[in-house]
Amino acid sequence: MDFQTFRQFADSEAAALHIEEYELYYQLEESASVSAFRRETREFSSASEGGVCLRCLVSGRMGYASTQLLSEESARALVRRAVDNAAVLENDQPEALVPAGQSYRSAAAKDEPLPSAGKLRETVLAGQDALYAQPGVVDGCETEAFANRISIAIHNSRGLDLRYEHTISGAVLSAVVSDGKEDGEKSSDYKICLGALDALDLPAAAKEAADHARDTLGAGAAPSGAVPVVFSAKAMAQLLGTYAAVFSAENAQKGLSLLKDKEGTEIAAPIVTLVDDPFYEKSAMPMPFDAEGSPTRRKNVIENGVLSTLLYNLRTAAAAGKETTGNGDKPNYDAKVGVRPFTMYLVSGEMTREQLLEKAQNGVLINSLGGLHAGANVVSGDFSLQSAGFLIENGKKTAPVRSFTVAGNFFSLLKSITGIANDPEPPMSPSSTAFVSPSVLVEGLSIAGK
Amino acid sequence: MISKEICERVLQKASSTGADYAEIFAENTLNHSVNLVGGKVDAVHDAQIAGAAVRVFLGLRSVMATTVDTSEAGLMRCAQRAAEALAEGRAEGTISLRERLNGDIHPIYVAPSSVANAGKVELLRTASAAASGYDPSVVQVTATLLDVDHRILVATSEGLWTQDRQIRTRMMVQAVAEKNGETQTGFCSPGARRGMELFDAVDPREVGLEAARQAVTMAGAGYCPAGVMPVAIGNGFGGVIFHEACGHSLEASSVAYGNSQFCGKLGQKIAHEKVTAIDDGTIPGDWGSINIDDEGTPAQRKVLIENGVLKSYMIDKFNGRRMGMASTGSARRQSFSYVPTSRMTNTFIAPGADRDEDIIASIEYGLYAKSMGGGSVNPVTGEFNFAVSEGYLIRNGKICEPVRGASLVGKGSEIIQRIDMVGAELKCGQGMCGSSSGSIPTNVGQPLIRVSSITVGGR
Repeated sequence: MDFQTFRQFADSEAAALHIEEYELYYQLEESASVSAFRRETREFSSASEGGVCLRCLVSGRMGYASTQLLSEESARALVRRAVDNAAVLENDQPEALVPAGQSYRSAAAKDEPLPSAGKLRETVLAGQDALYAQPGVVDGCETEAFANRISIAIHNSRGLDLRYEHTISGAVLSAVVSDGKEDGEKSSDYKICLGALDALDLPAAAKEAADHARDTLGAGAAPSGAVPVVFSAKAMAQLLGTYAAVFSAENAQKGLSLLKDKEGTEIAAPIVTLVDDPFYEKSAMPMPFDAEGSPTRRKNVIENGVLSTLLYNLRTAAAAGKETTGNGDKPNYDAKVGVRPFTMYLVSGEMTREQLLEKAQNGVLINSLGGLHAGANVVSGDFSLQSAGFLIENGKKTAPVRSFTVAGNFFSLLKSITGIANDPEPPMSPSSTAFVSPSVLVEGLSIAGK
Repeated sequence: MISKEICERVLQKASSTGADYAEIFAENTLNHSVNLVGGKVDAVHDAQIAGAAVRVFLGLRSVMATTVDTSEAGLMRCAQRAAEALAEGRAEGTISLRERLNGDIHPIYVAPSSVANAGKVELLRTASAAASGYDPSVVQVTATLLDVDHRILVATSEGLWTQDRQIRTRMMVQAVAEKNGETQTGFCSPGARRGMELFDAVDPREVGLEAARQAVTMAGAGYCPAGVMPVAIGNGFGGVIFHEACGHSLEASSVAYGNSQFCGKLGQKIAHEKVTAIDDGTIPGDWGSINIDDEGTPAQRKVLIENGVLKSYMIDKFNGRRMGMASTGSARRQSFSYVPTSRMTNTFIAPGADRDEDIIASIEYGLYAKSMGGGSVNPVTGEFNFAVSEGYLIRNGKICEPVRGASLVGKGSEIIQRIDMVGAELKCGQGMCGSSSGSIPTNVGQPLIRVSSITVGGR
């Protein structure tokens, strides 16, 4: 059964139960991927997954239910389940539905058919060739080429009828390198490149992954102490992504973000400006509307150190007496509407990366962070994270160091940024949410090594 | 869910281009959760997952196609896609299926789907109120009760047609305590492969109190110092150290491709002789237990490391081909839309002979990591990390003041040689483990252990 037919059954059940306000959110994700190992294709996968989420307003509460089974019986059951679930809710501020007649910016969405299995195979094998052409690379390199076609439809009782179709493709190249000794040291790194398969620069991606992996061979331990730390563009983007939840009005209103009641106050160093942009030029998935169907827009979240706005959906905006920022989010079609940024990026400064290292003089350059889901506490802001990178000595990057930690607090870190470079990297995320940053110099963090 | 006759036709179609193995995995799952924020019901999540995946192998190649259309026509189209992608040769022989009934060692007395929302809300209110009332510094409490009713069907060209129903229930409470404008969190989240009778054994009040106790303790704590020192890691979720430092590197998904520090080390001593580690999917009622894995292989109890010697990897059918080894019942996937691979079930360090008090007394200056958060590992290098959610300094063999914000990092192959004291009281903790085949329930566990020296990330 297709979504349109399913929708008619749901409409008729809603009418029978006298449900006046409801929405059907439909998502279908078709994907294809091929992986390779030892210059041979290993796994091919062709998936088609999605479902329908219904939310309906009953006595001022929005109940949810979802299903992947599209049949008349499941359509009718879906409405009854959502009504049942609404009955126990107690939240003070109800969710609202977006009326028809909004104006949306035309996004650069491209709806293309998925590439053929042959094309994916060709890409993934070319990726293997590119990796094995790099010096120091050893057996074990894996590559993957993938494509996803995402379809979203939002249909509600206020006449809203939105559709979005978009295709993303790309490749992942993982380089494994060794120091050449028997039973010697191995290291690995990977690079995700997004774009049309024909347009991917696989040799450049392979070189970058292998160079980064090789640079870390022979790494020693970092000395413990409080030193200036430079986060590379990639590491800082990872950290931003981990702490993005602190900018959610939902978390603030639930008492789970320390930025509660901080709008209009200084929360970062004056050189910090943080932007959320659904139409970021290198975004893999520009979005003209959010998960509620509200139009999206670019906004400064932090402007010259001052928190300009948190991110809102309709419900949290109404609770705060504000307008939505168009950041309604569903991490999956079956989820309750929450809040999330699109492409969130730290605005570049004027220094080159070399000048930033020069400014740091003696400290540590962190190129990668690990265990962010565990070692970073979003509520308190405290973090202690596994790191790898290089020593900075006399303003220059010198010996590689690894298996050390960097510890601090995100909210203090924002205030302790003393330099921002001009070297942002394109987003690596194949979705509408991504994080981008240039390299950043931070004072006052603690390193634990030897 | 899908009859033997339909499965036979679908498998026949899937094998039509020369596959030497074909498999159908179908599921119908109800995911349900109720969430309280600040004592009020904030959300009810109610989702039905239903679909099927067809997989075919030829030698060391695998193809998977998935569909949410589980009608015969939909499954045949899915099988056709898989067969076309393989497109190597022609089918040989016919497939006829025989049903296998798996004994269910996890009886469910009260299926969670048969309990109305209101009953679940009551349990949550008890937990939430206990946490809020623990101390005036507790400023926020979130409480979630989630249950999963996961029905699976596996049919393979080897002639197997079998089903399993996996029900799990879990309560999760997070408390936030505030002191001097700074906040700390505490977390408690017991779960089991049981129904609502879980709460005959687990008192929701205790769950709330434990989360609050942890948050309040940490809110008053100073920062953990940084450096290399001996660490005593508590039982229960402390077992995450083995899960990250060693467990992931013993999965065929790393070992088969040479991307593990423990490749080719079977029969060799890789850990301290006091370390015996087990992965056991057969423990009745435990969070990570299964009757069968997601390729239909019955769950097993595997001794991974015995007195420091590597005895077994964790293997699925596909990666087992490359290794020339049989499946150990370790194939797992979050849902039909993930390609299954080798994963852990209930993984723990077996009890040893050391007394807990001797372990603490042996440390002149170090850290007692009472409760752990999650962690991660790079199996290629073995570098792992995990977070300490409740820690205390040890001075002169005595547990002293609490410290916050610590993490532990190291290299798995080195750290498991430094686990030189193992206590007697084994306890497990529940977690969700994320990897290429999605997020799956796993237990981690151990008695109190001592790591003679490890890098503590503090400040």
